[in-house]
Amino acid sequence: MNQPSSDKSKLDLPVSLRYKETKREKTGVFFKKKVGWLFVIVSVIAITIFNFYPMVQAFLLSFQSGMGGNLEYTGLDNWQRLFSDPTFIAALTNTSIYLLIQVPLMIVLALIFSVLLNDPKLKFRGFFRIAIFLPCVTSLVAYSVIFKYLFGVDGIINQFLLNFGFISETINFLADPFWAKVVIILAITWRWTGYNMIFYLAALQNVDKSIYEAARIDGANAFQQFFQITIPMLKPIILFTSITSTIGTLQIFDEIVNITNGGPGNATISISQYIYNLSFEFTPDFGYASTVSYVIVILVVILSIIQFRVAGEKK
Amino acid sequence: MKKVYLMLVLLVGLAVLAACSSGDEEANSGSGSEGSSGTDSITAWAWDPAFNIAALEKAKEAYDGDVEVKIIENAQDDIIQKLNTGLSSGTTKGMPNIVLIEDYRAQSFLQAYPDAFHPLTDVINSDDFADYKIATTSFDGEQYGLPFDSGVAGLYVRTDYLEEAGYTPEDLTDITWDEYIEIGKKVKEATGKNMLTLDPNDLGQIRMMIQTNGSWYVDEDGSTPNLEGNESLAKAFETYKKMMDADIGKIVSDWSQFVGAFNSGDVASVPTGNWITPSIKQAEDQSGKWAVVPMPRLDMEGAVNASNLGGSSWYVLNVDGKEEAADFMLQTFGSNADLYQTLVKDIGALGTYSAAAEGDAYAVEDEFFGGQQLLTDLSTWTDEIPGVNYGLHTYAIEDILVTGMQDYLNGTELATVLENVQSQAEAQLK
Repeated sequence: MNQPSSDKSKLDLPVSLRYKETKREKTGVFFKKKVGWLFVIVSVIAITIFNFYPMVQAFLLSFQSGMGGNLEYTGLDNWQRLFSDPTFIAALTNTSIYLLIQVPLMIVLALIFSVLLNDPKLKFRGFFRIAIFLPCVTSLVAYSVIFKYLFGVDGIINQFLLNFGFISETINFLADPFWAKVVIILAITWRWTGYNMIFYLAALQNVDKSIYEAARIDGANAFQQFFQITIPMLKPIILFTSITSTIGTLQIFDEIVNITNGGPGNATISISQYIYNLSFEFTPDFGYASTVSYVIVILVVILSIIQFRVAGEKK
Repeated sequence: MKKVYLMLVLLVGLAVLAACSSGDEEANSGSGSEGSSGTDSITAWAWDPAFNIAALEKAKEAYDGDVEVKIIENAQDDIIQKLNTGLSSGTTKGMPNIVLIEDYRAQSFLQAYPDAFHPLTDVINSDDFADYKIATTSFDGEQYGLPFDSGVAGLYVRTDYLEEAGYTPEDLTDITWDEYIEIGKKVKEATGKNMLTLDPNDLGQIRMMIQTNGSWYVDEDGSTPNLEGNESLAKAFETYKKMMDADIGKIVSDWSQFVGAFNSGDVASVPTGNWITPSIKQAEDQSGKWAVVPMPRLDMEGAVNASNLGGSSWYVLNVDGKEEAADFMLQTFGSNADLYQTLVKDIGALGTYSAAAEGDAYAVEDEFFGGQQLLTDLSTWTDEIPGVNYGLHTYAIEDILVTGMQDYLNGTELATVLENVQSQAEAQLK
């Protein structure tokens, strides 16, 4: 990480102190290890039972197929079925589109907002911060329904565009494959930008002001400061937010179901919604559904590795 | 020292176990069907407090057995999820004794969980119910479902708009969809109102059309997709496109827009299931301006002017207390004609128990519909609905068809579209 190394040495200090103290006790290293395990054993057991065990079971399930409870092993059939399944391909394409357009858009917006709102001279800073963060505390379903009505044929957006003469007749946003995607992307961006902004704001508070001061003395303008100082200093946070946003977008469900329900056709269906449909909407095939779930797992792993490579440490 | 830590570990372990098991108990008592207490109380799950739950309450009042009936309201989606997860996990804990399942989904539950349901073959007499409900509520020669509400469809029309265009409800009685479209054009010319609402994401319209000819998305076996070469479906697609091209449909994208369209007087007719009646009546100022006529039929040999949309039936789960549950069902929905009178009078819920239709409550004249004996009419049409086996894949196939419909409306040849959806369906539904 490119964080100032002073942070690291501060962290090191108490640990080494503690190390010395415990060493003073007679029982030795073996005992110390046991105590350590004692502290984590409960969470380890809980995580194993409630996370790892289901993961392994789901993986086994992804090689089975059948209706409801009548599952049997079908080898790689499910995985082959994936590639010839037009609905899955549509879901994957849509999710990728959301990912490729929405995540960068949101990250950039969040960065811009956080830098603007970090300016100590700005009046009503607190108000703006709250205003941008507030969407985050709304319920996913509630805001989705509101977006649905905003963009309805008789919705306020259409009224606005009509009254100001931007369009001559109403656009049926949610029934148009292109506009429906735009609405979904707008909705997620509105909901999550503030959330990411908070991370950047917090990180910005930790950037030493003297660095900016030095840059100013060297004659760097605002843009140079942003690109040469702010971005590099925030790199670990940008990496973190882009990974969490990527995972979030890959799992997107509520917005799609409530705003368009995957329509028109399958123009906005997401992978998670398809998993839901396979399990509960159609005749249940939990085997194939977990195969599709594992696709998300694989995607998350691959994308995270790429992001680490691109933005992460050079080591 | 060692002992102390061992004790600690044990304690923590115990605490975790206790937390887990107490959680289980809570979950069970919540739905009230632990194995042992199954005999003195039974649980029933259903959705819609104004309709199904209300009907259950009436049934509970009419029931004089000594088993306590607990009625639990859940959203339909939640019931489907809970049943699926519960039944596939193989445990019957937390499952209800009686559950309401939509007819389109019934076969998939019956076949996916073969031993989970208690057959009612020897409990009820399936001849007592509307014929068309039997195929979908039975499986493998056994009757599992107790047919409940009728999804009999009707064409709800605004008499005042029709009059303006020079028509009477009689002109729309027993017509074909093609004739309906012609009338629709005239009505739009005369009144400026659309003839009906269309939701391209919900093909209920198509389902109603093909059932007038006894056809469905799947073959008789309930699982082989029957799309390519299904003349009724092709005809229904063509008719749907004609409506779009004639510009007589107001496009809606969800339920509230659908209800809003007729409540605000934007459309001249509503072809749908009879369960829409309470929603139509919400617009009190439109009293006397409505009438209900039989559903238009497809312009084909053998098609009739009767169809169905939705509807559901009761099922008894194969858990402790099943005998009591089956007995409750028999005494109420299975044989009590008076109960059905109460249901139509107080709730407006139209059952499919044939004997009930002869009661007084069915003969009542409805002022909202210009004095029409609506319930009698609907019951008559119920008997004419062609029975089809909805099979396993109604919603899975419809999902494919919605995309196909989009392609077709955007100009792809119908033959190509149907060929595509057939191969997609075959690939997906193995």
